[in-house]
Amino acid sequence: MLTYEPDDTLAHRLDPRSKLAVQIGFAASALAHTTPHALVVLTGLALGLLWSARVPLRQALYAYRYALPLLALAPLISAITLGAPWFDPRAAIAPALASYRVLLIILVSAAYIRSTPVRDSRAAIQRTVPGKPGQLLGMGVALVFRFLPLLRQDLETIRDASDARLGTERSLLERVVHIGTVSLERAFIRADRLSLALQARCFAWNPTLPPLALTRRDAPAFALAGVLVVTVLL
Amino acid sequence: MATNSQSVDLVDGDVVRSFARAALLAALISATAYVSIPIPISPVPFTLQVLFVCLAGLVLGPVWGSVAMILYLAAGAIGIPVFSGGNGGIGHLFGHTGGYLWSYPVAAFVIGAMVHRGRTLKDVSAVSIPVLAVSLLAGLTLIYGIGVPWLAWVLEIGLAEAVSLGAAPFIPLDLVKLAAAAAIVKSGRIDTV
Amino acid sequence: MLEFRSVDHEIGDLAVLTDISLEIGDGEFVLLAGANGSGKTTLLGHCNGLLTPTSGSVLVDGTPVEDDLVAARTAVGMVFQQPRDQFVAATVGEDVAFGPENLGLERAEIDDRVQRALEAVRLEGRETERIQTLSGGEQSRVAIAGALAMEPTHLVLDEPFTGLDEPARQSVLEHLRSLSAAGTGIIVATHDLRDLHAIADRIIAMHDGKIALDDEPERALASLEALDVRVPADVENQETRA
Repeated sequence: MLTYEPDDTLAHRLDPRSKLAVQIGFAASALAHTTPHALVVLTGLALGLLWSARVPLRQALYAYRYALPLLALAPLISAITLGAPWFDPRAAIAPALASYRVLLIILVSAAYIRSTPVRDSRAAIQRTVPGKPGQLLGMGVALVFRFLPLLRQDLETIRDASDARLGTERSLLERVVHIGTVSLERAFIRADRLSLALQARCFAWNPTLPPLALTRRDAPAFALAGVLVVTVLL
Repeated sequence: MATNSQSVDLVDGDVVRSFARAALLAALISATAYVSIPIPISPVPFTLQVLFVCLAGLVLGPVWGSVAMILYLAAGAIGIPVFSGGNGGIGHLFGHTGGYLWSYPVAAFVIGAMVHRGRTLKDVSAVSIPVLAVSLLAGLTLIYGIGVPWLAWVLEIGLAEAVSLGAAPFIPLDLVKLAAAAAIVKSGRIDTV
Repeated sequence: MLEFRSVDHEIGDLAVLTDISLEIGDGEFVLLAGANGSGKTTLLGHCNGLLTPTSGSVLVDGTPVEDDLVAARTAVGMVFQQPRDQFVAATVGEDVAFGPENLGLERAEIDDRVQRALEAVRLEGRETERIQTLSGGEQSRVAIAGALAMEPTHLVLDEPFTGLDEPARQSVLEHLRSLSAAGTGIIVATHDLRDLHAIADRIIAMHDGKIALDDEPERALASLEALDVRVPADVENQETRA
């Protein structure tokens, strides 16, 4: 799994906002262009971005391996025809290029993930999205990050207990009802406790935001993001 | 150092409570990325995402239900490993499954709005089965109605191919999840604020 | 100074608290004893306006709680049962900073407070650690640090020893003792008085939503058994409580 790792790479020294801008620019450009020529350029750029955060390509590919079967199936299924010639490789070319650009879009995120702690992302959200929505969004992602391991444990425990006790004798529907009910009950008990703790600690709309500062280093990143967005029009 | 309490704008208690529930529901749907339910007959992994999208709308209502889903997407966008396969990254929102992801807040909103008919929440366990069924099916239709065309567009494949890749294998099991969502709220074990 | 004036709390027809009047001075170490369901947790919820009395009022430093919730919640820091569910961030430093951030303090002041709060519970230098990876006792201490960072005059703890093993329990106890020595008022709600009565100034016992007893520890201990409170005489009987 990809996670933040403290380091001193180029990407680590950038502000999360400029890194997000580059990713959005990259996605926009890739969604607009699937010519082999454009994909060569985008591939180079993607490798460069991964390198800037020192993410080994193999690690990024491994992390996103779950996306690969579907991306590989898309061109295959397009090549199949319901009559002669049954299999038409030419029909697979466009989907293959399209699948490849999706892979690039997803891969590029690995650089951001390795180089950005959640705290900085939270700060970026709170500084970019104005007012109350920004505060809730920023705190919300911090809470998701905090509670994900706990709820994952809850869910695994409930599933395993239900499997051990009743196995497959119960219908799938009954099992899903059981797991859904118990996990949601537990999550809400936790939420109600959390709600008291948030209030006791003066959860406010206007807190001091976590520190975050754009520097001159971010200018080229924003420029790159801008260029990428402009290429959509080409 | 003296603090000036006048300048602190506390979040209202009711809002904190709904927000905490929305955040934990977002964490719960994130946790489903890791926990699939083994079923012998299906080649498709059986995960509970759609179940919790439905429950978000049913239990939290249109506003906080969609907030929960937006928190889920935002958490994934900044790289918290919440998307299926246990990964994150903003690229997913633009990738082949992006349409499904974007549809979650919309589906939760529509389900919540159809069931609660407004911002004040009703006791969902008292909502009739037909209303639940229609709302949940509308939600599911939205998920595929946004997800499948997006898949076709991004992968440059035909709609029929997109349906066979991204809908047909999943819909039978999704219907089980809809039935489960209805049964869960009808049981009355989850209170709605 | 924390003051309850004839506080009643009813939920539907059920009287959870009846006619509670009491004063707790700054710097006092108070044990709030009582069986489960005697109303301890509800009483704590009134100390900083998490609950609103059905009738009566609660004052912090002379001001009714509802008139200035921020002042009340700053003056009365609260640590709940189940520390796992009260953390708002994944890392130690980020969580402890949450309270002071909400108060709108300058960043340098926030960093100072986080530093001091973590020193008070001997977790200095561990700001970047994931809370998830800490032991139960360490998590309790992070929760205490989170409350301390608000620089409260009173620290209220609800069953702080639940689920802790003996060394962890002793360590939390030790920190409470030194906080008390440094002048912070401590209010501990517990049904398990082992080791605590010796350091407390006062024991308040609840029974059926009323104050059944309010006395200094030596005199209070004799009467506690009748109120279903585990008295320290049965220390040998150390069944663990979940």
